[in-house]
Amino acid sequence: MDFETLEHTADTGFRVRGATREELFANAAMALAEIVMDRTFAQPRESHRLTYAGSDVEERLVNWLNEVLWLMDGLRIAPAAIKDGEVWGEPRDDEKHPPRVVVKAVTFHQLVVTQENGGWMAEVFLDI
Amino acid sequence: MKTDVRYFANDALRAHIEKDKALEQAVNVACLPGIVGPSLAMPDIHQGYGFPIGGVAAMDWQHGVVSPGGVGYDINCGVRLIRTNLVEAEVRARLRELVDQLFQDVPCGVGGKGHFDISQKQLKQVLERGSQWMVDEGYGDNADATFAEEGGCLGDADADCVSPRALERGRPQLGTLGSGNHFLEVQYVERIEDAEAARIFRIEEGQVVVLVHSGSRGLGHQVCTDFLQQMGAAMKKYGITLPDRQLACVPVQSEEGQRYLKAMRAAANFAWANRQAMTHFLRRSFERVFGKRARLSVLYDVCHNIAKREKHEWGGRPVDVLVHRKGATRAFPPHHAEIPMEYRAAGQPVLVPGSMGTASWILAGSAGSMRESFGSVCHGAGRMLSRNAAKAGRDARQIQRQLEERGIIVRSETRDGIVEEAPEAYKDVDEVIETVHIAGLAAKVARLRPMGVIKG
Repeated sequence: MDFETLEHTADTGFRVRGATREELFANAAMALAEIVMDRTFAQPRESHRLTYAGSDVEERLVNWLNEVLWLMDGLRIAPAAIKDGEVWGEPRDDEKHPPRVVVKAVTFHQLVVTQENGGWMAEVFLDI
Repeated sequence: MKTDVRYFANDALRAHIEKDKALEQAVNVACLPGIVGPSLAMPDIHQGYGFPIGGVAAMDWQHGVVSPGGVGYDINCGVRLIRTNLVEAEVRARLRELVDQLFQDVPCGVGGKGHFDISQKQLKQVLERGSQWMVDEGYGDNADATFAEEGGCLGDADADCVSPRALERGRPQLGTLGSGNHFLEVQYVERIEDAEAARIFRIEEGQVVVLVHSGSRGLGHQVCTDFLQQMGAAMKKYGITLPDRQLACVPVQSEEGQRYLKAMRAAANFAWANRQAMTHFLRRSFERVFGKRARLSVLYDVCHNIAKREKHEWGGRPVDVLVHRKGATRAFPPHHAEIPMEYRAAGQPVLVPGSMGTASWILAGSAGSMRESFGSVCHGAGRMLSRNAAKAGRDARQIQRQLEERGIIVRSETRDGIVEEAPEAYKDVDEVIETVHIAGLAAKVARLRPMGVIKG
């Protein structure tokens, strides 16, 4: 999963791309998971369908990512992949998926969601 | 803009402050409806989300707004200072053993769980009773809760305003330190600046103290996320438009505003219970290393991220305001009724942690804070480098070695925890302290030097 890290004095952000909006959302979720833990060995054993809404694409992205965060921090799932909008993963195990950082929340700060060169790009900042 | 921005800095700090978007964010705060007095920024100000970190804004209680972003995701992130009856030499002789014991006994909670397995019903009691819940369960002394802002519990908290999701996210994390800039530090009193205040706070040169910096963990984060979402939608109803979505706010007197405040207070109480639990764990660590002779007592406990209803005077008239402190500390002056009787002659203790290699400070609130900053002062050194910039060219082992050469032992659950919090990532805490001292917001009492650091 490719993403670029963005600078912020106190926290961190990432830039991610996708050919479609769905792919952008999936890639953003995987970038977030990668920041939270080393998920190299996470297996897609169970699926979770997350519900989210929003008045525009920015709000939908933030709400979607906060759902993914809840999945990792609340339900303690290590995401392995996104298929058809569902998150596939397995229960978190700190030995198997070493934690990297605790992300408090996905924010609206300097949030960008845009179409460029026929694809989609987003910049997202996290409170850590 | 509805008002001015006023910030406190000397020339050295000003150069750093103007490098990121912190002042722009302070300008955005000055646009919020019902702000009383200026949008204030402390000398440790740096860029945050919506509000700058190091920002203070007083909102009219009847006609102003409440903003979850003005409190932050880590509700009641704060610090607690605990005195010991031990001196530097005897602790230094067994420092490695002590740091290892603390690392074992105080759960960081980066990945796994804490030591508590409590029911939903018990968690709701924690949210309404704060520190005292822990004390009543045997995790502390009765005096512990006395020496804390609000006595370690905000009234009018309502656990039913906290979402099931926030409860579930926080429940396994009770009694854990957290990651990021949270830490536990063994320190000693290097220098006393105000002998009378030090006598009142019962500290002496060479005395060993412990500083705990932690907050409300996933519970507080989720409360903020939940209400930002709700308020984003509700703002249209109240005709509020803002320059930054992260500043989402609603009238204090609205149903959403009141529900947020009740949930925020509940999360704040979770944070106090959290710091109380860690107080118990570290007491046990000291006892394991030094035996029964080790006695630990809480000096004070302050919030860094909170919104509280307070009575102040502004422009020569009394005002009833909701003071948002986002990365700022309350600093009430001597003789204020909110200060524990034992400390009242000195002023409220203000605890300011620096970076892990430098120093922390004990201050006492001064009269100037009531005139200038709605009884508020700085909360730390303030970040200067981003986490990525801090990592560039730095290695955790190298930093650990350098700190050990200066007599500081560091243990961290993650390597990033050490590198991202490298001393060079922060402003000079002494410059920050000098600024607030000269500005008359709080007065220097003692400078503390770190000896052992536990990080998430």
